[in-house]
Amino acid sequence: MTNRIEKVMSARDAIAEFVHDGDELVIGNYTVGTCAELAYEVIRQEKKNLTLYSQSGIFDVEVLVGAGCVSRLVTTYVLRAGGKKGGSAVERALWAGTLEMEDYTNFNYNARLVAGMHGFSYIQVLEGVMATDLFRKRGFMGDNKYRVIRCPYTGKDNLTVPAANPDVCIVHVQRADKYGNAQYWGALGSVAAAALASKRVIVSCEEIVEHDIIRSSPHLTIIPAYRVDAVVEVPWGAHPTEVLGYYNLDMFMYGTFMMADGTADGLKAWMDEWVYGCRDRRAYIDHYVSKFGSKSLDAIRAKPYYSAPANYGSAFTSRWDVNGLERNMGLTMEEFEATLKERGKLYE
Amino acid sequence: MSKPYTLQELLVICVAREIRDFENVILGVGLPTTAGAMAKALYAPHATLMMESGIIDFEPLLPLNHIADAHSCRGFSYATDLFSAFTMTYRGFVDVCFLGVGQVDKYGNLNTTVIGDYYKPEMRLPGSGGAADFISYAKRTVLTMLGGNFVEKLDYFTSPGYLDGGNSRDESGLFPKGSGPSMLLSTKGIFRFDPVTKEIYLAQIHPRVTVEDIKKDVPWELKISPDLSETPRPTDEEIDFIRCFSPAASAGRELNMELVITNLFRQLQG
Repeated sequence: MTNRIEKVMSARDAIAEFVHDGDELVIGNYTVGTCAELAYEVIRQEKKNLTLYSQSGIFDVEVLVGAGCVSRLVTTYVLRAGGKKGGSAVERALWAGTLEMEDYTNFNYNARLVAGMHGFSYIQVLEGVMATDLFRKRGFMGDNKYRVIRCPYTGKDNLTVPAANPDVCIVHVQRADKYGNAQYWGALGSVAAAALASKRVIVSCEEIVEHDIIRSSPHLTIIPAYRVDAVVEVPWGAHPTEVLGYYNLDMFMYGTFMMADGTADGLKAWMDEWVYGCRDRRAYIDHYVSKFGSKSLDAIRAKPYYSAPANYGSAFTSRWDVNGLERNMGLTMEEFEATLKERGKLYE
Repeated sequence: MSKPYTLQELLVICVAREIRDFENVILGVGLPTTAGAMAKALYAPHATLMMESGIIDFEPLLPLNHIADAHSCRGFSYATDLFSAFTMTYRGFVDVCFLGVGQVDKYGNLNTTVIGDYYKPEMRLPGSGGAADFISYAKRTVLTMLGGNFVEKLDYFTSPGYLDGGNSRDESGLFPKGSGPSMLLSTKGIFRFDPVTKEIYLAQIHPRVTVEDIKKDVPWELKISPDLSETPRPTDEEIDFIRCFSPAASAGRELNMELVITNLFRQLQG
């Protein structure tokens, strides 16, 4: 949270200022529209020793782990390229002993962020996992992965997880204003909780819009300005994943990643080309277009299906009507001031 | 010399001057929203004004009818819910909140629930509403006492100020360190709290009021600031803002009611 009037900056500056080695970093997005460019910038800046939180590890987790940025991972799902024969960066890091991991269910992972978002130190979760190894097998969190308490009302055992308040959240949304009000729609997942639980928030967006757009659609805002540290405008910022209203999943590009991810060498070559080889998202898109042509991008651009506008208007916005009369008193300002004087209300 | 002003206008301005730029501010209905609107317009353009109903970052254009009045503004930045509005306060994201007072004691503890016995009330007041939670966790709280009283012992302890004074609030472990009421505004003066003993003292006095007038209202030996001064007079800009934004606030409750009823009869008679 920073007291800046405007928080617009480049991905490079935002990551350099707000992501530090050893941080707990949470990827705010869930399955869709991931903050690809912000993740790539973390990699390009060679951040180290991160504890990475991800609701559902897709290619974002793979590239961050593959790049050696992550030493601990808290998640519910690990991507695997190419089925049994393939592999994943997470699996290779586990084999190499360079990554520790903590496995949760989707709900129990999300609950940790919800607790953190609301300032609670723990939260009750769904207790079915007490019968499973999710409960029994502990990673780096040890005893603090799950704890059981007695419910004071029913006397039953309740399963709890500790709150998570990551140091920094990186998250991609459709649009934001320059103050940091971030608007996101579509699959809500755990996006708001991830951002609001975090100590610092870096928002990237497809476009920065006028504040009036935000003000006339506050129901779309998921992160208020006063929680946001940096706003980064990055068109195609989630590519090759999809952003509702902007573009679809780029199956072709995602396919090149999946083919590469099965081996360490393959992933390294892919990242040399698409992450390290492109200094920013503009360079990445230029490279994409020069290699594959712009048709592939045009083919996934969203066609409009606009949400119906919601009317936030009211009958009037001033106590004074068009004739200059106060709406309840029926007096002009002169008449009103004369009355104040007449009644001895005025202090000279 | 600036233009003549009403006591009610002076009160709003005293409250507005407690809001600083870039602060997150929880407003209650009545005087605080008029003060918040003025602060946002005149001295704190980057303040984020919020209401517990979940209306976050709004710019009041009209005085509010109630705590969920989205008709008072033209849109706002973030629509959240009441639960989250309180937990954001719990987490320390609210700099200042404003509360009305029924009874207040020497250490800024408040009663807004009942006069007399709780189970057999003489007068049933509104209750806590958001008060007990906001004064617990906002970094500071500004109290406005327009019709209330100073008492030796509260009839009902609704909202925590400095508890038993001294370090007792911080030492209770229930509240963020350094939080608590920072100022109490009455129709006669401005009171603040001693940084060590946390006892309330008179800091400024409104025009046409004497220290003796104020002492009469306080059932203990009220401490008076050695630097006691008269509440500074408002500027023309401040007066004009209130008079235009909320003529009812300028007039005060009784005169406003009279003028509104007179107009109502005028309308009915065609």
